Amino acid sequence: MKIIYIILQLLAITGFYLLGEELQTLFNIPLPGSIIGFILLFTALMLKIYPLEWIDSGAHFLLAFLSLYFIPATVGVVEYGELFSGKGILLIPLVMASTFLTMAAAGWVSQYTAEKSAKRKERS
Amino acid sequence: MAFNTTAAFFAALTVVVYLLTNFLYLRYRKTLLNPVLASTAILASILVLGNIPYDTYMLGGSWIGTLLGPAVVALAIPLYKQRELLFTNLIPIISGIATGVVVGMTSGILFTQLFRFSNELILTVLPKSLTTPVAMQVASNLGGIPSLAAVFVMVAGFTGYIIGPLLLKWLHIDSPIGRGIGLGTSAHGMGTAKAFEYGQQETSMSSVAMTLSAVLGALLGPVAAWLLLL
Repeated sequence: MKIIYIILQLLAITGFYLLGEELQTLFNIPLPGSIIGFILLFTALMLKIYPLEWIDSGAHFLLAFLSLYFIPATVGVVEYGELFSGKGILLIPLVMASTFLTMAAAGWVSQYTAEKSAKRKERS
Repeated sequence: MAFNTTAAFFAALTVVVYLLTNFLYLRYRKTLLNPVLASTAILASILVLGNIPYDTYMLGGSWIGTLLGPAVVALAIPLYKQRELLFTNLIPIISGIATGVVVGMTSGILFTQLFRFSNELILTVLPKSLTTPVAMQVASNLGGIPSLAAVFVMVAGFTGYIIGPLLLKWLHIDSPIGRGIGLGTSAHGMGTAKAFEYGQQETSMSSVAMTLSAVLGALLGPVAAWLLLL
């Protein structure tokens, strides 16, 4: 029985995804269809239009293997041997440096803002 | 194209290699055994040694890749479950993530421009901090190379996973919000895996950061590309 629920819920998730894709092409939205589907589903859950129980186990099942789905894409690195044996190898330290800056900026700003708003609450 | 044996073989091979590396990773917990890194290395070696073109592999590989879209949609569920945490810390969370996304994209573009890389490569590096499925779609929408974008996403992920904790300590970012938002915004799912080792609050913060930075990044990507490549 559980299997049937999971399959039906996977179909529902795919439905939100296809709806997102459809809206993307229809209105030429500059967002990937999957993100539009994500926003639609999140909104539907928040507004209680779509109950969590009707999608929870399907999503859990799908997300359990999340890293599997991008392996075929990362295997594509075989196509770029030439790029990474030349000047392109520089792209790796550049990406690493940019990742450090991103982490420092995001972490510091959120920590600082949270401390400030906590202090403000204490005072009032 | 009807049912194709070659395609089925490569799809099955991908799943088997993934399950095997996943099993070994769970058993020995070595970073180098990370299922994505190890599976990619094994499959890439098979293709290179067997002289198999990537396009042939992708006959089956693309079957698995198709699941990316629905998986992104499914990320709405963990975010919905953490809505309380999200809404009580809305301002610190959003300002941290937004700053991170802007800094990440700007520095990505500036660094690669400094070394005179082509626009195609710059647009491929641009979404590196976003979760893979979104990064690939953003790269493809902007005119970058999706499969190469996935490679840079992995580089960002491993950077956050391995060196991130040292950086956070050095900068005295020691609150659950700071750590979680920092890891999730810069290193998506891999950062969230590291956040899991810190604790529950860091994990929730990091997955919120991963999801929101994906949405923000998808929205801001075209703007950043347009502004900086004018």
